[in-house]
Amino acid sequence: MSNWERLVWNQREILIKGLLVTIEVCLIAFAFAIVGGLILCLVRMYVRPLRPLAIALIEFFRATPIFVQLMWVAYVWPELFGWPNTFFTAGWLALGLQSSGYLAETFRAGIEAVPAGHREAGYSVGMSPFQVFRRIVLPETLLTVAPSIVNQFTVIVKSSTLISVITVPDLMLQALKLVHVWFEPIEILTATAAAYILFVFLVSAAGKALADFHRRRFGLAAA
Amino acid sequence: MSDALLEAINPAMFWEYRLVLMRGLAFNAYVFFSSASVALAVGLMAALLRVNRAWPFRWIGTLHVELFRNAPDYIMIVWVHFVLPLLLGKLLGQRIEWPPFVSAVVALGFVYSGYFAETFRAGIQSIPLGHLDAGRACGMSERQILWRIVLPQVVRRMLPEATNQFVSLFKATTIVSLIAVPDLMYQVSMVIQTEMRPLPLYTSAALTYFAVIYVVAGTLRLLSERWRNKIYA
Repeated sequence: MSNWERLVWNQREILIKGLLVTIEVCLIAFAFAIVGGLILCLVRMYVRPLRPLAIALIEFFRATPIFVQLMWVAYVWPELFGWPNTFFTAGWLALGLQSSGYLAETFRAGIEAVPAGHREAGYSVGMSPFQVFRRIVLPETLLTVAPSIVNQFTVIVKSSTLISVITVPDLMLQALKLVHVWFEPIEILTATAAAYILFVFLVSAAGKALADFHRRRFGLAAA
Repeated sequence: MSDALLEAINPAMFWEYRLVLMRGLAFNAYVFFSSASVALAVGLMAALLRVNRAWPFRWIGTLHVELFRNAPDYIMIVWVHFVLPLLLGKLLGQRIEWPPFVSAVVALGFVYSGYFAETFRAGIQSIPLGHLDAGRACGMSERQILWRIVLPQVVRRMLPEATNQFVSLFKATTIVSLIAVPDLMYQVSMVIQTEMRPLPLYTSAALTYFAVIYVVAGTLRLLSERWRNKIYA
């Protein structure tokens, strides 16, 4: 028990600092992924000339491993585009890009699931196509895909362990640093793994609760 | 920027090192097939525990699924590589070591067994109870019912979902380079250390992975669709 106290409890400030960085990166990446995914999806569905580009981007983000994408964004983009200039930015950018590809497909499934009659009802009361999209299609879509979006957040959290490789000081990196200082991995790594599992479990439990709530409240099947 | 872009898409360097890099990609495939076997076997066992009549078994199965489905694969690989040998060594009273390849296969296999268990369970629960009754009525044992009636149907039903998980598993094999398993990413970073030119190498690596995953996943989806259509229309 003393080992746990010495290696985990007494280092709690370092570990919590790491956890906060993890949460920060994940939230930024999540927001970026939702906006980016929505834009990619809308371009794919409604902007004819840019459609092949959007499809290529979506497929590339979806079919490339997150680790490879992370290294690519962190080491190739700065030379290619002069941005991102910090590893922190590269971290959330790579996580966000990967998830934006997945979310674009989620949004598309949600938009296609809106019954045609709902749109026609909007048109028949004189709404413009933009109004129909903003007032009818988008709210319905967000409702149906909300649980999947929460699930995507768990994917971001799981992948965020990898940003420690490009020296973003997240929970994983702080834990590995402590292991290098003390040379006693058992307690530190077990506690870190448990923290991650608990965190992801809570998020996915929230997603499940949300899905159940939507099913009961609005009679929707999970997307 | 245009110079950088030209350098990034210039495959000359990648081509120069093609032998060692392709060996790395083959190692990715090797890790993938090994951990997929572990994941399928353990996942099936966990799924059978979850649909068991006795609650302690169900409880263990649920614990397994929740534990491994919510675990990030990187920390599981690190844990299995650095912590598990120490724990086993303490238990057995001797020094235990194994190569990074074993850690990678065990960790990825167990993490993905959680996902496969859920897929198997959904497949098992979608089999109508009448099929089981029919089996019992002609005098089959529970084991025969499982292997001859339930599992053949489950495998067909879970194929689309399983394909997605195989793709995720293959993508996850790239992180085994972090514990020095000589896969493609590992070889790429080795070459980058000697050549100091990340631009063309990381870009080509990303494009290679994209091409492999895109083509293989597409083929798998097509094949499984055809196979499903052939067997029951």
